[in-house]
Amino acid sequence: MKIKKILLLSLIPLSVFASNVKISTEYLEGERLYKQTCVSCHGMHGETNQDMQLTVKPRRLKESILSQSQMVKMISDGGHAWGAHSDIMPAFKYVFEEEQIENIALYVTTAFNYERTAKVKKLLLESKPAINDVKKRTRMGKKIFKRNCSLCHGVTGNGDSVYVEQSKENQQFLFPYDLTKILLDEDQIFLYAKFGGHFWGTDKKDMPSWKKKYNDGKLKAVAEYINEKIKKTSK
Amino acid sequence: MKKIVTTSLVALALVVSANAKNWEVDQKGKTFVPSALTVHKGDTITFKNSDPFAHNAYTDEETNEFDVGMQATGKETKMTVNSAESFSVECAIHPNMLLEVTVE
Repeated sequence: MKIKKILLLSLIPLSVFASNVKISTEYLEGERLYKQTCVSCHGMHGETNQDMQLTVKPRRLKESILSQSQMVKMISDGGHAWGAHSDIMPAFKYVFEEEQIENIALYVTTAFNYERTAKVKKLLLESKPAINDVKKRTRMGKKIFKRNCSLCHGVTGNGDSVYVEQSKENQQFLFPYDLTKILLDEDQIFLYAKFGGHFWGTDKKDMPSWKKKYNDGKLKAVAEYINEKIKKTSK
Repeated sequence: MKKIVTTSLVALALVVSANAKNWEVDQKGKTFVPSALTVHKGDTITFKNSDPFAHNAYTDEETNEFDVGMQATGKETKMTVNSAESFSVECAIHPNMLLEVTVE
């Protein structure tokens, strides 16, 4: 009995070690692939390569709102598949195996976006609650969407709008997301609308912060409206 | 008697419209210039857009409700101040733009 216990106890550190090695191997593989491929656009520490002469600069990954699993989808399918009008972020599923993509996402979220989960949780906890009345909330969300969001994102939310077309005439290139395809969940849409794109890693400030204009209740209403009525991707 | 009243009303309206002033507000660098105006009922405000992108000035205040709509670069749109109540004007695209209009 005593020997069995000793044997068991000696096995625990071994299993922990093995599990660490496994994580570490995946992490190291992710790091290797990141430094080999992603670094040229997103920078060594996810801060974005500022020397790139592009209209739309790559996102600062260390501030991205995407979770690890959402990041896997983004790396795999590319930005365009998930609503970006610019196709600067390619689909890496044609380059890497699924496991390699998972390793890259693991590396990014562990190495320089490790504060994301806590940051999102904190901002949500600090926010004021949504309005209780469902009908009122839906009406409010729809009204704000039509009044403000649709001017850039289009009436159906697909990113085609008069504003975008008019801006092109003056060499102002805007790339509002196709909201029918976005990866973000309702809470993330709320946080994105509240703080704006720049806060979540975009170089340009085309997607403004709406927190001065609308309170949390109203922004939550529009986030729910976008999530329920505009977004077509699986909930 | 009726003719006198009608004539004086028409005259009054003419005096009011003759005194009505047009105010110009530019939209430049994602701000209203000027950002505050003091006007009188019956005055008009012309909204210009000097930015290289569109704006959409509007107010939701019931008494002076208006919506310029999508206004391209270089375009001008005029609105009339119909009520004696003060109001604020915003841009539907750029949430930090604000124009305070005081009606005296």
